[in-house]
Amino acid sequence: MSRIAPNQMTDDLLRPLLHTTWKFYAGVAVLGSIVLAGLGAWFYQVYMGLGITGDNWPVFWGFHETNFVFWIGISHAGTLISAILRMVDATWRRPVTRCAEAITAFALMIGALFPLIHLGRPWLAWWLIPYPSERMIWPNFRSPLAWDFFAINTYLTSSLLFLFLPMLPDLAVVRDKTTGLRSKIYGLLSLGWQGTPKQWHRLEMAMHIMAIAIIPIAVSVHTIVSFDFSMAVVPMWHSTIFGPYFVAGAIFSGIAALIIAMALLRKILHLEAYLEPIHFNNLGKLLFTMSLLWGYFVFNERLTTWYGNETHEMAAFWITQTGRYAPLFWTMVFCNFILPFPFLAIRKLRTITGCVIASCGVVVGMWLERFLIIVPSLSTKPITYSWGRYMPQWPEITIMIGSIAAMVLLYVLFSKFVPLISMWEMKVGEHPEVKEAASVAAAQEAGELL
Amino acid sequence: MQESSTATTTNGPAKWGMAVDLDRCTGCEACVTACHAENNIPTVGANQAAAGRAMHWIRIERYFEGEFPDVHVKFRPVLCQHCDNAPCEPVCPTYASSHTDEGLNAQVYNRCIGTRYCANACNYNVRFFNWFNPIWEKPLHLQLNPDVSLREVSVMEKCTFCVQRIKEAKIDAKRDARPLADGDVKPACVQSCTANALVFGDLNDPESAVSRLSRSPRGTKLLGDLGTQPKITYLQREG
Amino acid sequence: MDRRQFIKLGAATSATATLAGCGNPENQLIRFIPEDDLIPGISVWKPSICPLCSAGCGVLVRIMEGEAEVIRNGQLGLIKMGLAKKLEGNPQHPVNQGKLCVRGQAALQVTYHPDRIANPLKRSGERGSGQFQEISWDDAIAELVSQMNALAAANDQKSLGFLTRPLRGQRQRLVAEFLSRFGAPAALDFEVLGEDVMRRANARSFGYDQLSTFDLAQSRYVLTLGADFLGTWNSPVSQSVGYGEMRQGRPGIRATFVQVEPRMSQTGANADEWVPIKPGTEGVLALGLAHVIMAARLFPAAAAGRAGAQVAGWANGLPAYTPQEVERITGIAAARVERLAREFAEQRPSVAIIGGAPLAHTNGTFNALAVNALNALVGSIGQPGGVYFTPRANVGGAQAGTAQAGRTIDKVAAEILATERSPIQLLMLGEANPVFGTPPAWRVKEALAKIPYIVSFGNFLDETSSLSDLILPDHSFLESWVDDVPESGAMVAVASLAPPAMRPLHQTRAMPDVLLDLGRRLTPAIELPWQNYQAMLQAAFSTLPAPPAPAGEEPADVWRTAQAQGGWWGEVAARPAAAAAQGQAPAAYTEAQFDGAAAEYPYHFLPYASQQFLDGSLAHLPWLQELPDVLTSAMWSSWVEINTQTASQLGIVQGDLVEVGSGQGTLRAPVFVSPAIAPDVIAMPVGQGHETFTRYASGRGANPISILAPVLEAETGSLAWAATRVRVSKVDGDGGLILFGGSLREHSEEHR
Repeated sequence: MSRIAPNQMTDDLLRPLLHTTWKFYAGVAVLGSIVLAGLGAWFYQVYMGLGITGDNWPVFWGFHETNFVFWIGISHAGTLISAILRMVDATWRRPVTRCAEAITAFALMIGALFPLIHLGRPWLAWWLIPYPSERMIWPNFRSPLAWDFFAINTYLTSSLLFLFLPMLPDLAVVRDKTTGLRSKIYGLLSLGWQGTPKQWHRLEMAMHIMAIAIIPIAVSVHTIVSFDFSMAVVPMWHSTIFGPYFVAGAIFSGIAALIIAMALLRKILHLEAYLEPIHFNNLGKLLFTMSLLWGYFVFNERLTTWYGNETHEMAAFWITQTGRYAPLFWTMVFCNFILPFPFLAIRKLRTITGCVIASCGVVVGMWLERFLIIVPSLSTKPITYSWGRYMPQWPEITIMIGSIAAMVLLYVLFSKFVPLISMWEMKVGEHPEVKEAASVAAAQEAGELL
Repeated sequence: MQESSTATTTNGPAKWGMAVDLDRCTGCEACVTACHAENNIPTVGANQAAAGRAMHWIRIERYFEGEFPDVHVKFRPVLCQHCDNAPCEPVCPTYASSHTDEGLNAQVYNRCIGTRYCANACNYNVRFFNWFNPIWEKPLHLQLNPDVSLREVSVMEKCTFCVQRIKEAKIDAKRDARPLADGDVKPACVQSCTANALVFGDLNDPESAVSRLSRSPRGTKLLGDLGTQPKITYLQREG
Repeated sequence: MDRRQFIKLGAATSATATLAGCGNPENQLIRFIPEDDLIPGISVWKPSICPLCSAGCGVLVRIMEGEAEVIRNGQLGLIKMGLAKKLEGNPQHPVNQGKLCVRGQAALQVTYHPDRIANPLKRSGERGSGQFQEISWDDAIAELVSQMNALAAANDQKSLGFLTRPLRGQRQRLVAEFLSRFGAPAALDFEVLGEDVMRRANARSFGYDQLSTFDLAQSRYVLTLGADFLGTWNSPVSQSVGYGEMRQGRPGIRATFVQVEPRMSQTGANADEWVPIKPGTEGVLALGLAHVIMAARLFPAAAAGRAGAQVAGWANGLPAYTPQEVERITGIAAARVERLAREFAEQRPSVAIIGGAPLAHTNGTFNALAVNALNALVGSIGQPGGVYFTPRANVGGAQAGTAQAGRTIDKVAAEILATERSPIQLLMLGEANPVFGTPPAWRVKEALAKIPYIVSFGNFLDETSSLSDLILPDHSFLESWVDDVPESGAMVAVASLAPPAMRPLHQTRAMPDVLLDLGRRLTPAIELPWQNYQAMLQAAFSTLPAPPAPAGEEPADVWRTAQAQGGWWGEVAARPAAAAAQGQAPAAYTEAQFDGAAAEYPYHFLPYASQQFLDGSLAHLPWLQELPDVLTSAMWSSWVEINTQTASQLGIVQGDLVEVGSGQGTLRAPVFVSPAIAPDVIAMPVGQGHETFTRYASGRGANPISILAPVLEAETGSLAWAATRVRVSKVDGDGGLILFGGSLREHSEEHR
């Protein structure tokens, strides 16, 4: 890791906050209008009814639910990665953590919108809140959707905290570097951070606790999301493997999203000196591990179903293997496994470009995976007379594109107002203690060996 | 909610069930239109029907078996099975899908927020969603049955075993100060069934026609291996 | 703007908003004083008669209070009135015994149809343009009176025509009286899928000119040739009730049911054994069975009596119909013929039923006579489990003559086209749609166009009534006095009767009352003895015998009891069979003739009455349009059924658009690939393909009748609608087949 002077670092990392170009405005305008289009499509759907989507009898769920699972999956990028890396004190994580945590927070915000978007009567969604009413009607705690409500809210709260807490010292830096109203706002946001040893100690403690707490939360959230499917006795849904399978898939897609985000930031914000090939290399290795794990899960899931040869399951199985959804299935296998394999397994190809290509494949592949879990099973439920098909319509496609734009937009705005690389953590890294330096060296060595 | 069921038998509430004699069913579909007329089920039109939005609380499934010339056809009327262990019920986050004390799978339209989870969880695919607000072109609205509430957009609906007829029969029995007799309650499909293939009644009364038929050696449950404990018994064809 | 102004403005705005809330036009309508005495929320069940097909099922109408927009004294307003909410079978009615078929259930929508004609209409545009203007009843009747007076003045009364679907009961009598007193020829009956062949055969074999009634509940063996007796044919509800009993109504006894037909019908789908047969050879199979039975000496030839005498070679044991010969002609294996024959003769009571397409070949009467003889041979006539003829109630004395024998729409159309001046100058049109329901070669539309003046009593604008100059819309059946004398389906004599179940929704008038009114206004007036149709019915029903009363009580008033229970039924003196006509040669098998050479048109074209729309007259009812056809699950669609093998040879898959061409024309429809149809047969339901028939049916699908060849049944001269051959080719374009069901098979092997 090259040495950068602390002042230089502050300047570099604060530059996007302090200097605004027309490109930023143009970008926000374009993204904003796409987001508005998505919102418009949703309002239209609320006004007209879900009939304008492609959902039908018997495929009652389609793109909205795919996007829900997809975004919740993406949200596993961050928190989990940064929490794990924090816990094991992997120092190379330092420039990566905030990018990752931001992805979590935003992907989760967007993902949490989809249950609302998919509702027929979203204005009644507050019935999921357990409030004491005079009629004593509570939400149905037996429903996985009610579990979702609590799990996602918990995860959203904790990831926002997890993102916000380590931002305090940096917000304080911005406060000190700016004047006027901006300084006041940052002052407010930094919650009176002065950098006293006591504060540092408290922050360290809080981050340790959060890092430990957030891992089970993240695992449980995606397990609960998987329960939306596995709790229903629907062919290829009712599976015990779904919990870990979904968590692995989530981390998998999350890392891929993180790699793409980092590559974009590196290019656009000129952070070449901070986000170095080593970071991509390490994340690439992680992605490779997850790709293998994902492949292992898919193989397990498919093999047991096939070997079991249960009539109803086989319908859903074959429609994805050789039937109508086979092209999507094999595209998914290609994107998630075959394409990333050379780029991630071969050290020479595990460059920034290679990692980005692999990640793009994984993001697409993981989206397809969610789609292929939901739609084919619903279209081939046990009663063959009720078999159906699904074709997305423009509103759900618009909403999906809008959600992607919203993700980018939130990220752009975030990068405008918060340094995307944790300055204080980088600076801590610049003066590593002996123990820490050793582990860096070890990590690098390990990286070269791979 | 916990309205005391006017003592049909002395043994407590009824458990409504149906027997479907597949050896009698001719596939005439009188039940389908009878159900539409009784329960204010909307007609969605050709475009929506093509998009998979047609609503038929009861349908006659048709299955071809064999190839020409040795071909056979099986008809099977499928409506809500009113499962005792209904997969649609636990998944609803708002209790819109819930079990009554007489064993009906009730759908509380006002409580439905449109997650459509119940329909996914139901392996019989007998739940139908109002993708749009239903339209009755005037004066077709005059045909609507005032005993059955209209469903608005984004609400799930399904067979109720004609709960309005159950209520009416109970009220009549109470008025006449007599117990509810077997055969007093006839859902619209049962009433219309030309070959008397559908029989409805109280499964808690061991002597009711439906109980006797449900004990038939020809009796099977649809997807019975899923453990849903349906209250409809299908009597298989002979020969 | 200051604060005061703002508040003022706000108040004004909210007041306007409140008023706008009342802007709902319904709330601006005046409210009429209710004419009915009804308790809100309480339903009353009133009897009526289902008018949709010729079965004549008795129904009960659920009447409840509701609020309808109506016109009273020229003023639009709201009224609380009794509204029909549901139709159910009348449990007391001997035909349908409390049951009602899918179409009968949907009959409710006839009354509430949004495109029902609500007022008298006078043509305002070109003929056939569908442009009409509303006129008052007084003007409408005055115009018709002047038209008829002009005929009378020119001494040209015989050029008044009355075209209707076959009427029965007092309606038929009234129309006949009206026409004969005016000096016009008898009414011209038209039915798309008529049953003249069956009636003729029954008259020859048994002396009863009517359709048969089957005692299925007691049968042990049923052999059907083409008849869709559980779906659309004869008296389907009555037959379905019997079917249920015959399968599971007798402990330990379950009848066997064999269906012989080239395309599996809804009825055939229920059979234990489905036997495809070469179209037009059904009679040969029946005689083959008879041959085996007689050869095995299970029954003597003489047992068939008069019915046997109608078949050439019967007395000699039908030597020409050996199983081998039957196999050659029908395509059914000789061994199977022998087995079926033995089963038929041994599992008694057995009954053979023929109907539908087998009678719509050029040799239809032969086919029917052969089956009649087979039934007679095994002693199934007038015996439990066999064939009966419903006794006729003699309502109101002698029945006026039926429609002119031999005068059919094709002949009339030809006459009109052949002469300079149309022999019909004024046509009254009842509910009949020959423009839709006749082969194009008959040129019925052209012929109608040559008639100077057409007046229609129809409720809806269809292909035929849209050609009229004046429309005098009839009440719906729920709004009028109705009566009927079912031809079949009951073991006792039935005369159905019902008063109006509800008040009229629109400015319509009952056709019989319009005729009576018209008669009085003509110069010279037609003096019919009844003030109105109700009076006519009362006079007629009062002649029926009252049911025996318990000792010491007055016999019940027939008129009142009939109104209360929906008709009169009971035993009547057996009607003797008509004597056999002399000099009629026994029928012998002649090969069915088909239009189109087999080389050019390789497939038999089989139109069939559809489960939803029957002959097409019900395509306007949305419930039926959205009803999934039970075999294909198609909704809102037309389709042609093609055998799986044939389709794969032609490179056709489910839903592909094909062009079906006959010597008469072509049509396009999507394909339903079916395993249950013979490889050389293309079947298509009748019903869709309406050019003009309300918003729900217009421009939807294709009409198979539009490519039918004008081939006639040899003996009766009725249309042989199953005698056209076609070719099929795949064409580009979206078939638009809408299916409700997914897989055709329960255990899909799609992916194995």
